[in-house]
Amino acid sequence: MTAMLSAAAAIPRLRLVTRPAARLPSARSNWLRPLSSATHVTPPAAAAGAGSLEPPDLHRLANAARISLTLQEVEEFEPKIRQVIDLFGQLQAVDLESIEPSLRAGTATGSSLREDKPETFVNRDAIVEAIPSYDDPYIKVPRVLNKE
Amino acid sequence: MALTLLRGMRTPVSLRSNTGLFFNVLRPRLSHFTTRAESAQATEPKAVPKSIQLATKEAAEQNTQGFEAIIGIETHVQLSTVTKAFCSCPYDYGSQPNSTVCPTCMGHPGTLPVLNERVVECAVKLGLALNCEISMTSKFDRKQYFYPDLPKGYQISQFDIPIAKKGYVDLDLPVEFGGGHRKFGITRVHMEEDAGKLLHSESGSYSQVDLNRAGVPLLEIVSEPDMRTGIEAAEYGAELQRIVRYLGVSNGNMQEGSLRCDVNVSVRPVGQSEFGTKVEIKNMNSFSEINRAIDYEISRQIMLHKEGQADQIVQETRLWDESSQKTFTMRKKEGLVNYRYFPEPDLPEVVLTTDYIDEISKSMPELPEAKRRRYENMGLSMQDVLFLANDDNVAHFFDSTLEYGADAKLACNWIMSDIAAYLKNEKLSIHETKLTPLELSELIASIKNGTISGKIGKEILFELIAKGGTVKGVIEEKDLVQIADPAAIEAMVDKVIADNPKQLEEYRAGKTKLQGFFAGQVMKASKGKANPVLLNKILGEKLNAK
Ligand SMILES: [Zn+2]
Repeated sequence: MTAMLSAAAAIPRLRLVTRPAARLPSARSNWLRPLSSATHVTPPAAAAGAGSLEPPDLHRLANAARISLTLQEVEEFEPKIRQVIDLFGQLQAVDLESIEPSLRAGTATGSSLREDKPETFVNRDAIVEAIPSYDDPYIKVPRVLNKE
Repeated sequence: MALTLLRGMRTPVSLRSNTGLFFNVLRPRLSHFTTRAESAQATEPKAVPKSIQLATKEAAEQNTQGFEAIIGIETHVQLSTVTKAFCSCPYDYGSQPNSTVCPTCMGHPGTLPVLNERVVECAVKLGLALNCEISMTSKFDRKQYFYPDLPKGYQISQFDIPIAKKGYVDLDLPVEFGGGHRKFGITRVHMEEDAGKLLHSESGSYSQVDLNRAGVPLLEIVSEPDMRTGIEAAEYGAELQRIVRYLGVSNGNMQEGSLRCDVNVSVRPVGQSEFGTKVEIKNMNSFSEINRAIDYEISRQIMLHKEGQADQIVQETRLWDESSQKTFTMRKKEGLVNYRYFPEPDLPEVVLTTDYIDEISKSMPELPEAKRRRYENMGLSMQDVLFLANDDNVAHFFDSTLEYGADAKLACNWIMSDIAAYLKNEKLSIHETKLTPLELSELIASIKNGTISGKIGKEILFELIAKGGTVKGVIEEKDLVQIADPAAIEAMVDKVIADNPKQLEEYRAGKTKLQGFFAGQVMKASKGKANPVLLNKILGEKLNAK
């Protein structure tokens, strides 16, 4: 399994959003292209749609989320996350040929916008209290230099 | 584009002199070169000495020989809405740190963003002003990265479907830079939120965050890589500033960070189709700094090409250092940063109707480019045109003056000379003075119909601009009506001649330059009110009548 094609990279591809072009067979086959040539067991439901998504690279995922996992935790989470990814694999197999692509799941009716009227949040004290390290009037954070 | 990363930081820059010598030769300090817009106040348009322009031009030609620069710009404009983009917190520049915050803009779990309708309106306005296609449906995405000024761990932005795309902007280069019309492509305009401000403590042992700015609405404008020189890029920025100010969507203030330009520069041999390695430059606080930073960077890259060291041009972010007039490496880019964009699940798509867009189209003011073309058609010089259209307050004042019947060229002359000088001295904007367009038109009319002389006109102008009032009022109050009665002038001329027999003798002996002396004396006697044409005519007759 190559670490390059981790679940982290796969997640953004699983958007429900497709541009109109994605409905074309060529684009579709591109969309469903297996993410690596590696062979591994695929769940029965996904197998039909070539939904063989790359299994998660837990180290990379943890790094991207800025959390540290012990080896034991990695072992524990790996199958759970793989399950989620396999679910997406099943979704990929669904035939969408005749479905109009939509930008979002679910459409809000009516205006979802807000008037540009100010409203000061009243419980500012509670917010400040919730700040882990506060140095009035600033939030105190570890020293930051030019690091991405 | 990790645009939020640097904001508010003053990073210590290592003052390593890499190509310093070369640069000094190429360009003297040109700090007085200001591309216009910037200050809302009127600026003196004729301030650039010719010799320096020529030196710059020649130097630029010498050093770009065989190479061309490709410049693209990402501009962030902070919208002047009352509240933030996704919550109702008010935003005021300069508020007490962390005072205008709420659970939403602080990224607390369980909060829901709700889009401010004014943000959409501003985006559509700017999109239309930049001749873009407006997306009837667009959406927000999460751009994920970790930084202490970004409370949620992601920025709400627009990724694959921006609200506007495929536009262009027209502009005219300043006359003192050789002039010329340019059209630059606009790739896209999208809505997003700003991050907070990061400051560094005195001791440097920790950093401080102010989240007042977190969640403030921005529009990011991405240009096509259509610019080739520093002045083109600076003018592009200045035109965007004019446009957002004309539209009233932003104050466009660079010092406050309401308008920020990140510039990408690459250089390639002329004739090569693929782009060279792209370097990003940040930390420019004015358009003249943009101009100089880019020209410096172009020279640096060409120099490396010529020395066979093109491989030393690497993909990186460089900071402009104003004190040394150079760019310095801030950070090298290690491959592409993966922002793991995905659709913002908490916000519905932004759906526009044609009625809505039509409504906004109808409300659009006349934009700088249209104004410039209109002024040009009035027969004004390009210098005048650029000056008037640079500041919409000035343009509005000018237009109103014309509506009262004033002659365009005369009105323009008054605004560009005496009024501009006054504004500059007093650091005022034209609408902040007591002078009204109506009174300027009255003043012009009073000179034209001979009620007052041009000289008195100037006096009245300074009275009006500082204290207000009307032309008629000042004329009456100070008894300034021009003396155009030949008999009255003749009497004054006679008296002055009689009082100066010695000068008369000298004049008649051939020292005819003394006519100026006599004219001055008569003018003085009339308290500046004598009609100068009549005065000189009568005086000449009298002096020469032996
Ligand atoms: Zn808020």
